[in-house]
Amino acid sequence: MDTFTHKGKRAATIVYVILITFTFITFLIGESGASSLNISLFVLALALIKGELVGAYFMGLGGIRGLWRLPIIIWLFIPGSLITIAFYLSAST
Amino acid sequence: MQNPTTINPDEIRRYPPGDLAIWVFILAELLVFAIFFSAYAFTRMNNVELFNEFQLTLDRQAALINTIALITSSYFVVRAVLSVQEGDNQWCVKWLLAAIGMGMIFVVVKFSEFSHHFGNGINLSTNTFYMFYLSLTFFHFMHVILGMGILAAVAYKAHKGGYTPEDHIGVETGASYWHMVDLVWLILFPLIYVMR
Repeated sequence: MDTFTHKGKRAATIVYVILITFTFITFLIGESGASSLNISLFVLALALIKGELVGAYFMGLGGIRGLWRLPIIIWLFIPGSLITIAFYLSAST
Repeated sequence: MQNPTTINPDEIRRYPPGDLAIWVFILAELLVFAIFFSAYAFTRMNNVELFNEFQLTLDRQAALINTIALITSSYFVVRAVLSVQEGDNQWCVKWLLAAIGMGMIFVVVKFSEFSHHFGNGINLSTNTFYMFYLSLTFFHFMHVILGMGILAAVAYKAHKGGYTPEDHIGVETGASYWHMVDLVWLILFPLIYVMR
């Protein structure tokens, strides 16, 4: 059991560092005042990656076989796509 | 069906951690937030200047602190689950209390943001941007409060020695709910505070 939990701790810590790093990148982009469609979509992509990492490693769905792997991925994909479309249409009008 | 909590963590499982009922609840909550997020984005389409102007009135540093607090608390909850899997209820309680402490930071910072806005006479009917901002963040805020209550109840039971490496479904159930609260904020933060 110790080996398993040791691997779990290591994976969780690596994911935590990635999440914090992506958060600071997002914050710095916001602070820079930069605004364009590409920047917004980049920020959204970072958020979706963070969401997938939380789903897979923190919520424990990454090691699941079958349909239960999918809810968080689908949840991220649908609003992620709709937000992308809305921001794209906003920028093109 | 084999109890998921008794399965070797490296084995491939068929069901998510925790009680299946909490996952039905989590998926329902996520659906509501997905509709909220999409409605925000499509409403913004017709009010881009308004949304961009009033987004600048938000405290992005406070949002950064809150994001770090929630991510850190989620990490602490993962460590609490791993501790109970090792049979270490004491450390499970410590990690859970640390997670609740991070949740408290979120609550205090968010409360000060709300106080600032309400003190300036801002409310749901001020404009469309604030309608979305206040309703979305307050709805999420209530989930944080509920999540802290759940984690406190789990910590109390762990303190009483109520979990074992073979039976800790309660810890995983509380953890799953708390990660959902974190997950929603991870989308909310860039969408409301950064994307323009």
